[in-house]
Amino acid sequence: MPISEELLEILACPKCKGDLEYIKEGPHGEGLLCPQCRLFYPIKEDIPIMLIEEAIKVDEVK
Amino acid sequence: MQCLVTGVAGFIGSHLAEALLREGYEVIGIDCFTDYYSRQFKEKNIAGLNTQKGFRFLEANLLQIDLKKLLKDVDWVFHLAAQAGVRASWGENFEIYTQNNVLATQKLLEASKEANLKGFVYASSSSVYGDTKVLPTPEKTYLQPLSPYGVTKLAAEHLCYLYYKNFGVPTVALRYFTVYGPRQRPDMAFHRFLKAALLGEEIEIYGDGQQSRDFTYISDVVEAHLLVMKRFYPGEVFNIGGGSQTVLKTALELLPEIAGKNVNIIYQDAQKGDVRHTAADISKAKKLLGYQPKVRLAEGLRAEWEWIKEIYKYV
Repeated sequence: MPISEELLEILACPKCKGDLEYIKEGPHGEGLLCPQCRLFYPIKEDIPIMLIEEAIKVDEVK
Repeated sequence: MQCLVTGVAGFIGSHLAEALLREGYEVIGIDCFTDYYSRQFKEKNIAGLNTQKGFRFLEANLLQIDLKKLLKDVDWVFHLAAQAGVRASWGENFEIYTQNNVLATQKLLEASKEANLKGFVYASSSSVYGDTKVLPTPEKTYLQPLSPYGVTKLAAEHLCYLYYKNFGVPTVALRYFTVYGPRQRPDMAFHRFLKAALLGEEIEIYGDGQQSRDFTYISDVVEAHLLVMKRFYPGEVFNIGGGSQTVLKTALELLPEIAGKNVNIIYQDAQKGDVRHTAADISKAKKLLGYQPKVRLAEGLRAEWEWIKEIYKYV
């Protein structure tokens, strides 16, 4: 299973517990986006950083 | 089969994850890199893991993430994440200890109710015994921690039992006794002593050096977890000790030979929360799990010395 699918299956937004979208190459690089909270959780060197305080606020979703 | 190891970037968690991968398990590791000690140490701890197939690492906080979703396909939980440190747990810091040790454990247990776990292994501590006069100490001894840290570890241990009793979460608690070896935390005694010996600094001892500990080598502790998986006794608590009680001064006498030089020791006031003696009665773990500690103190200290030399070689 690709990393993205595997992650989406086990991870949710730490803030709202909602579903996440996998972004392969966005303005902030690779990561997981919560459309509800407008928070982007970066994936750095294959490691998802699932911390609310480390998440990047995004103004526009998609 | 899949294992979740919380606190995977820590001293024991990283060794355990490596052992689980060697045994053929898949491992999801979580760590939130609490700032109790430098992140650099922890990143080094998991550097080897990150390249291994079957390992997935998440930088996440147990208090934040959706644990039910995470546990969906997990078979074994090894809950090692904690706010460490006896001496730092007083005063305002207590809130951090209750959050990271008690509340985080409760959340993980709550999520485990609906997961289909084979086992939930909780990393408890000899600090739950406090200054007991019963030495070596069996599991049934009256529990009276001497530090706020010990209180939170004990509270979480009790939570494990009540989630087993009430909801059938298959929990086992392992009470570790002074674990040492490569990757030991920088605030722990042998790490500090060996580092000081390497750098030619004074070795600071809290108290008169007559306190004793049941030092337990890391590979013996890891082995205990693998044994628990083979012979699982839900609801039980086991002491995991090194099998012998050593006076700190006696342990220090080993250092000149290991380090190949004389060491300079200075004595500081004893610290609040430090217990005088610990000694594990490991007969229950021997009998039920087949646990038998193998690494003697001199051998284990040599291994830790080799690691200390490696990590501080550029200092």
